[in-house]
Order: sequence, then C-alpha cells, then structure tokens
Amino acid sequence: MTSNPIQHTFRNRQFKVQRQVVALAALGLFVAIIIGALYLAQSTSLATLGRQLENLIAQRNLLEQQNEQLREEIAQLRTVPRLLARAQELGFREATLNDIEPLVLAGYNPNRPSDEIVLAAAAAPPPVVYEENFIGWLQQQWDAFIGQFQGFATS
Amino acid sequence: MTANATARPLNPQRDVFNQRLPLVIVIMVIVSGALLLRMLSFQQLAPEVLNELRPDYDREVRLAAARGLVYDHNGQRLAVNTLEYRIGVSPNLVSDPPRTARLLATILGIDELEVFRAVTSTAVWELLASRVPAEIGQQVEQLKNDGQLLAVTIEKIPRRSYPQGTLGAQLLGFVGGDLKGYYGVEGRFQDQIAGRAREEIVSDIPFAVPNDTEPDRGADIYLTIDRDIQFLVESQLALAVDQTGATGGTIIVMNPRNGNILGMASWPSFDPNAFLTADVEAWRNPAISDEYEPGSVLKVLTVAAGIEAGTITPNWTYNDQGRLDICGVPVLNWDRRAYGVVDTTGLLVNSLNVGAGTIALEMGPNSFYAMMSRFGMGRLTGINLAAEADGTMLTMGDPEWSQSNLCTNAFGQGIAVTPLQLVTAVSAIANDGLMMQPNVVERIVDGDQIIWSQPTALGRPISADTAHTVRDMMVQVVNQGLDEGARLSGYTVAGKTGTAEIPIPTGYRTDRFIMSFIGFLPADDPQVIVLVKLDEPTSGNWASQVAAPVFRQLAERLVILLEIPPDAVRQALIEQGGAVNAIQR
Repeated sequence: MTSNPIQHTFRNRQFKVQRQVVALAALGLFVAIIIGALYLAQSTSLATLGRQLENLIAQRNLLEQQNEQLREEIAQLRTVPRLLARAQELGFREATLNDIEPLVLAGYNPNRPSDEIVLAAAAAPPPVVYEENFIGWLQQQWDAFIGQFQGFATS
Repeated sequence: MTANATARPLNPQRDVFNQRLPLVIVIMVIVSGALLLRMLSFQQLAPEVLNELRPDYDREVRLAAARGLVYDHNGQRLAVNTLEYRIGVSPNLVSDPPRTARLLATILGIDELEVFRAVTSTAVWELLASRVPAEIGQQVEQLKNDGQLLAVTIEKIPRRSYPQGTLGAQLLGFVGGDLKGYYGVEGRFQDQIAGRAREEIVSDIPFAVPNDTEPDRGADIYLTIDRDIQFLVESQLALAVDQTGATGGTIIVMNPRNGNILGMASWPSFDPNAFLTADVEAWRNPAISDEYEPGSVLKVLTVAAGIEAGTITPNWTYNDQGRLDICGVPVLNWDRRAYGVVDTTGLLVNSLNVGAGTIALEMGPNSFYAMMSRFGMGRLTGINLAAEADGTMLTMGDPEWSQSNLCTNAFGQGIAVTPLQLVTAVSAIANDGLMMQPNVVERIVDGDQIIWSQPTALGRPISADTAHTVRDMMVQVVNQGLDEGARLSGYTVAGKTGTAEIPIPTGYRTDRFIMSFIGFLPADDPQVIVLVKLDEPTSGNWASQVAAPVFRQLAERLVILLEIPPDAVRQALIEQGGAVNAIQR
C-alpha cells in the first residue's frame, strides 16, 4: 500500500483513458479555439472597419459641406454687380448697339441641322443587398468566395 | 492460469457508464441543438421582438433632407444651402475657464469677459453665439475634436442662402426658419425642392458598421430666368423708379413663342437672405399678385377682339366727336379732342377712348366679354409661381356690372389685371394668335430624373391674320403715334402705352397715374415681349413720356444680350437660310 493518495486513486481507477475520445475532445477544443479566434479576428476587423468608415463618412460630410460653402462663395464672387465693377476696373465698358457690327456670312444658315451623337449610358448592375441575419451573412461570404474564384479565373 | 483469469473482469461501473453514455450524448446534442436554434432565432427575430430589444442599443435619428438648389437658365446658382452654427458651453465641464474664454472670444469675435462670465456661470448650459458662419463654427469644431474645447456644444443649423443677394428675390421667395419655402419658386415647389426627411436607426454598439447617413436631397430647379437679363431688368427698373419719382413698378420680359419668363422684377423688393428685416408686403410678387387697371394698353385687345369677332375690319372707321354719351357715363378722349373720321389704326395710334368704347358697344357685352375671357382676363395664367391673382372682370351677370363697364373696360378702366396677365394676353398678338402659358421653370432635376417643362398653349384667342393685323397697327403706334419714345434704331418695335387712372372709393385719382408700355420686337418675328409699368411717376403726365423711354433703354440692352440682330441683318440671313431664332429660352 502506498502512501500517495493520488497514485492510490489512479491505481484503483475503474476506467481507462480512451485515447480516441480524448483525441476527439482535443480536436473539438482545437476547432472551437480556431473558430473563436476567427470570430474575434472578424469582430475586431469589423469594429476597426466600422470606425474607419465612420471617420470617412464624417470626412466626406465635412468636405461636401466645405464644397457647398466654396460654391456659395464662388456664386457670390460671380454676381453681376461684382463682375461689372471688376470689368470697369479693368477698363471695360458695356457694349452699345453702335459698337456691334453684325456680319452676314454668305451661305451661312443659322438653322442648319446639327448632328447629335447620343451616347447610351452603360447600365451599372444594381448592388446586391444582403439580409442582416445569419443567412444573409452566409450568402455574403459565399458570394465573396465565389467572386474571388471568378476574379481569379478572369484575371 | 484459468480461463476465468484471462476473461474480461466484471466491471459494473463501466457497464453503467456505457449504458448512460448514449443518454448523455443525446442530452448534450439536444441542448446544443437548442442553443444553436436560440442563436439562429436571435438572427431572425420577429420585428416586434427586435423593436423591444433595440432601444437598448439603437436610437432613431431624423435626417432632414437637403433642399434642392435653384439655378438660372445658364446654371448660375440662385439659391444654395449652407450651415450656421449655434455655439454653447456647459460651464461645469470647463477645466480651464480663462483659457477657454480666451480661445472662444478670439474665434467667435466676442468680448472675452462676456465669455468668461458664461464659462464660469452656475448654469448647466450657456449660449455663446446663436448663429455663426460655417467657417467659424468649423474652427470651434476642430478645437473640440482636438480636445481643447470639450465643454463646448456645437449645433449645426441649416440655412438657405441666396448668393445673388436681392436678384430675383420676389421670383425665388425665401425659406423660413421652419425650413419651408414661402412665395415664389421656393413656395410653389416646396414639395419637390424640400425632399423627404428620413428616419434612420443609428447603433451605439461599437462593432456595428455605421450606416451611410447621408440625407435625401430635394430636386434641383433650373429656371427660365437668365441672370444677366434679370439683373438688367432690375437695374433698369431701379433707375426708372429713381428718375421718374415712381412709388413702385414692374418689368416683365417674356419669350412670346413659348411663354418662358426671361426676367421679372418689381420695386420695392427685398433681400431673401434677410427677409425678416423687410416689409411683409415686399415678399409678394406684384408682377403676378397685384391687380391694376391697365388703361389704354387694353385697347389693342379690344381692337383684336373686334376684328376677330367680325365686328370691325382694319378699314373700319367711325366719326370721333371726342365724346361718347350712350354708355351711362361720358367717355372722353385723353386730350378731350374730337378726331373726326378715324380708322382702326388711327384709333390705336391716337389712343382714342371714344373709338375703343364704340367698338365695345358695337360688339355687345356678350361678344366683348367672351373675347376678353379668351384673352385670359379674370383668370389665372397658371404660371408656376405661388400666390398668383386672377384679376377682376365684371361681366353681365355680376350685380355691379352696368353698361358703363362695357365702354370703360374697352379702354382698360373698370377691369383689373395683373402685369403677367396683360403680358400673356398681348403675347398672343406677338405669337400669331397663340397664347402661351407663362412659365419660369425650365427643368426639374430629381436625381437621375430630369423633367423638362413643355410649352403649353392657353388657347388661340385670335387667328394669325388678326394677330398680324393688330401687330402692324402696334408698329404704327410706335412709328407714327405718341409712343415714339419706344423706337429702337434698326429694329421694328410693336407696342402700346397706357396711362391709367388709379381707382379710389369715390372714383379715380386725378393727380397720380399708373403708366405702362407693352411692346415686342422684332415685330415681324417677335422674340421678346416686355411690359414696363411704373406706379405714380411724377416726371411726366403720359406713359409715352415716362414708360416708353424705359422700354427703349431696356430693349437696347436686351437685343445685345439676346443676340437679336437688326432687321436688315435678319432679312439678309433669312434670304440665305431661314429665320433667325437665336434664343431658344
């Protein structure tokens, strides 16, 4: 009889370690860890992207706003009184009827037909909208996966 | 060693384990399945359950739609959107009051002591500036984002801006503090320009991908107005009001071929950027909202109506005794003179009230008012602007109507029109008898959709022959008559003046008049029709002295801006190719 209770316990154990079960459990644990890690990586990347997107949207809004301000400023700078004043500063004056001498070009027809080329706009495919649920997410992943192959095949 | 010794020893615990293992596996599978199903159910929850859960993480924000812009015919911006900022501060969050006060005072341009008092007050929140321009607001916002002004609150306030200032104010209208359009294009097209506000769910969960919260946008509107012509019209009107001592006035420039308004202005006007400081009356557009008795200008419609109805011919004559006494009220010529035998052209050239009354009497009330109605008297033109008035024309069925109305209406008394109604009616003479609906909107751009205005005919009150006949008479009015002040060298002008008495409750004022001139050119191929109306000018007694010269000054500039060649050049061009229709406005 040994004095070590652990050895005693193991010696008297009523079961044997089944390697297959342990291996399966280990494999399961490993897969779970991998899935967990993937999920964490995905979540982190999503959160980072979300933050970046938020910043970009804010930046875009600010730029659009500044653009609008600039357009307003341009419109103010191009008002008729201002242009008139500037033209006068530069020595211009308004033309009168006496300053204008219309010329009639022989054979010129102001109502001649004009050739107009109509360019057909290429219709862009509508963006795919995925449901915001698990099935939609799966569909999105699958489409992305297929898209990668298609891109690879066409490149 | 016995056989029993080599046999598997009895192990009751193992047997129990083996018996229970399938049960445990089944239970675990069921529990796992239940958990999986629960997880999936979260993904596809019923909307009502989702709504129950959302308030914890999501909030609903209302995104006001960006208002569409207004452009002139050439794409010049007449109305744009901008932002103003309301700046406030939460004093209890200020960590360094002197520094905060110094920074804010410098940027906002207000007294530092005042700001210091605000940032050290015991109030929860203090307003620093109610409306500051966007560039200043953005500076404050930048400092807040940098962590220097964390206690400052910034609120963006959308504002409508009119970069051209007062230009076209009454045409455009304005946008009130409630972000709704009033008067003019802003009021008439409020639904289209304003767009639709959108409710958006914004998540507070850091992992949630933010939605693109760009607001919807209203439709952009391109007007038929030409900014340069509008400026010309407004500056000429201001000059005319100043030179003639008038209390107000209106000028309308229209293309009679399609009804497009090229310029429309009334005096006094207002600045839509500061509409609250203006008189409320100035917000209205008198060109479409104010009625007045047009006076002798209406004689051209009477003559056209008489010819069209077959009552008179261009060669019709009458004996003008300077007075007509069978109307219930005595009708006198403007100069109280008798002109003897006068034909239709002479009637217009000398602007004879007696002749116009005689035509109306010969036509009879039924025929006369039917013709006036065809010219749009007493009816809305249907222009796409808010607050149009329909004018006043009493007819036989009205209790206030009498025989005297028939005679006086014939020369523009006792009948009230808006300036636009008059232009529309006379434009039928310019446009071969076809009366076009006035229009200020060229196209509406709503995203990818563009809606072009199509010229709309209000009717054909007179035939082309009648129109040409009356047009030729109007040319004689300018070339031979009293209205020589409207003559334009190199161009044939058709026109007619009107010096109208102003009605008061006891009759008519005898000291002040409304003076107007309506004309179009080139007479043989009219491309522009112009009405000049001046209220109570003091520089002259007759419209031919006051309004006709204003028309000429305006027309001199218009033919340059619209590139209308002189008659001789046009004839030469016609000979080698066809008519010149330079303006497709």
